[in-house]
Amino acid sequence: MTGPYGVGIGWRPEIAGFVAELPGLRFVEVVAESVPATGPLPPGLAQLRERALTVVPHGVRLSLGGAEPVDPARVAHLAAVAQRVDAPLVSEHIAFVRAGGLEAGHLLPLPRSREAVDAVCANVARAQADLPVPIALEPIAALVDWPDDELDEADFLTEILDRTGALLLLDVANVHANARNRGTDPLALLDRLPLERVGYVHVAGGAERGGFYHDTHTDPVPPAVLELVGALCARRRPPALLLERDGDYPPAAELRAELDALAAAANFPAVT
Amino acid sequence: MNVHAASGDTWGIPGPTFLRLYLAAAAVLVALSVWHRLRRPASASDAVSGPLDPQQAAYLNGGPRLAVHAAVGGLRGAGAIGVGPDRRLLTTGPAPTGLTPLDQAVHWAAHQRARAGELPQDQRVRTALDQLRAGLEQRGLLLSHQRRTAARHWALGLVGLLAIGGYRFFTGLSNGRPVGYLMLAMFAVLAAVLVLWRVPDRTRAGRAALRDLRRQHTHLAPASSPAFATYGAAGAAMGVALYGTASLWALDPGFAEQAEIQRQAASGSGWSSGGTSGDGGGSSCSGGSSCGGGGGCGGGGGCGG
Repeated sequence: MTGPYGVGIGWRPEIAGFVAELPGLRFVEVVAESVPATGPLPPGLAQLRERALTVVPHGVRLSLGGAEPVDPARVAHLAAVAQRVDAPLVSEHIAFVRAGGLEAGHLLPLPRSREAVDAVCANVARAQADLPVPIALEPIAALVDWPDDELDEADFLTEILDRTGALLLLDVANVHANARNRGTDPLALLDRLPLERVGYVHVAGGAERGGFYHDTHTDPVPPAVLELVGALCARRRPPALLLERDGDYPPAAELRAELDALAAAANFPAVT
Repeated sequence: MNVHAASGDTWGIPGPTFLRLYLAAAAVLVALSVWHRLRRPASASDAVSGPLDPQQAAYLNGGPRLAVHAAVGGLRGAGAIGVGPDRRLLTTGPAPTGLTPLDQAVHWAAHQRARAGELPQDQRVRTALDQLRAGLEQRGLLLSHQRRTAARHWALGLVGLLAIGGYRFFTGLSNGRPVGYLMLAMFAVLAAVLVLWRVPDRTRAGRAALRDLRRQHTHLAPASSPAFATYGAAGAAMGVALYGTASLWALDPGFAEQAEIQRQAASGSGWSSGGTSGDGGGSSCSGGSSCGGGGGCGGGGGCGG
């Protein structure tokens, strides 16, 4: 049970055969909701566990940012998956996916208010009480800010991390997307984030459409995002980088080249 | 039933004695037949080993037609073939390097604008398929025609036994002798004939090889919705080989539809080949229709998507 280290990739059933053949791979992330709490593990994942790879369950449905308390059953599932794959930590988003009993079906951003900080901290504390391992929190990309934001992104995140003691799962593509779409400086945000609290880092591809940068996870990682990875590592290199690819999977050679580029940008050993 | 030999006994043999001999003979023949099947084929050579390539896997799994589809999947995955509006195949460039004989034959046929459904009848393709089959027979994974025939010899003996029983049955019947137990014994022998007459084309080694391949390639199963773009030509070919043409549909639905590739999941329930390499492809899957005889390549609709 070692923490994530080096360059990893999001494990998806569609590319399980590709992931299984990466010789230098030391860690993967798996969508927690796709792993059953009991019964057999997905075959490819079981294979990686036999090779003693670190597997980090990544939750997407906990709704930590919701006004109502997190669903104990969902926390229990995340805890069970963490135990099954012997995870060193789990991760979830600072976002809400349901409100007033309605499922949004995707991650929605929170207003950066003191009230929201309280709600998130209460829910993280509830989750932490039932989780066997530390949790890393991931801020999400948003095309626009809420009008009544009281805190800026850095203060909002620092406040939550300080009060919960959680780790930060920093998504470099999100940092790029938010800065690009708001016309702010991504480096200024990096300078103000508690980089010593980073558990690991997400890197994903995206595309410019209609004047906005969309964090699609189905496009190649653009050079600007790779440069931001380099800038982050120059400040403080995170323990691990994870490539997220969720669809429109390219030929193996292209995926390998992306992993190599990540390793080169952070000066980690190549996994391919 | 009269246990003493009497002049009324058919052929002078009392019923119980005949029944005992009859069933003993049947048991010996069944035992010999089973022993013959379980024995490791003498022709299986360990010299030719190494992993099976996708086309060998496809032939083993679904016969000549699936082998052709695996080649089509590989060539399509490599971007070497396409399909025209007339639903005939076409080539989109020179043949890539490292092709198997079957790949080359299919590529050539595509160059001649063959239809996908006609490929197994193409002369070059048939020659390549025969080679593929011979290789699998040599490795002891498929039974050769001779070995299939040999495996049926003992069942033939049982048929002879059935004839003798039938003769005695009617003789006994016309003489008013009791024949109930004889009839029961004949049913048992008939059942044995029906079971033993079916000689699966795949040997135990062949079935084991397929099982191993499926275990190694679970990521290509339609349930994983495999990213064939990532797995490349070899992955596409192996996907078709192990999981049927549903993989070809998942790889490239536009091509599969235009080329009129039937959507099938190869369930691994087996296929039975009527013939051998010599007699014309020996496919259990006839022309355009869905696979008929012998519980063939069907296994229920496509699992694509």
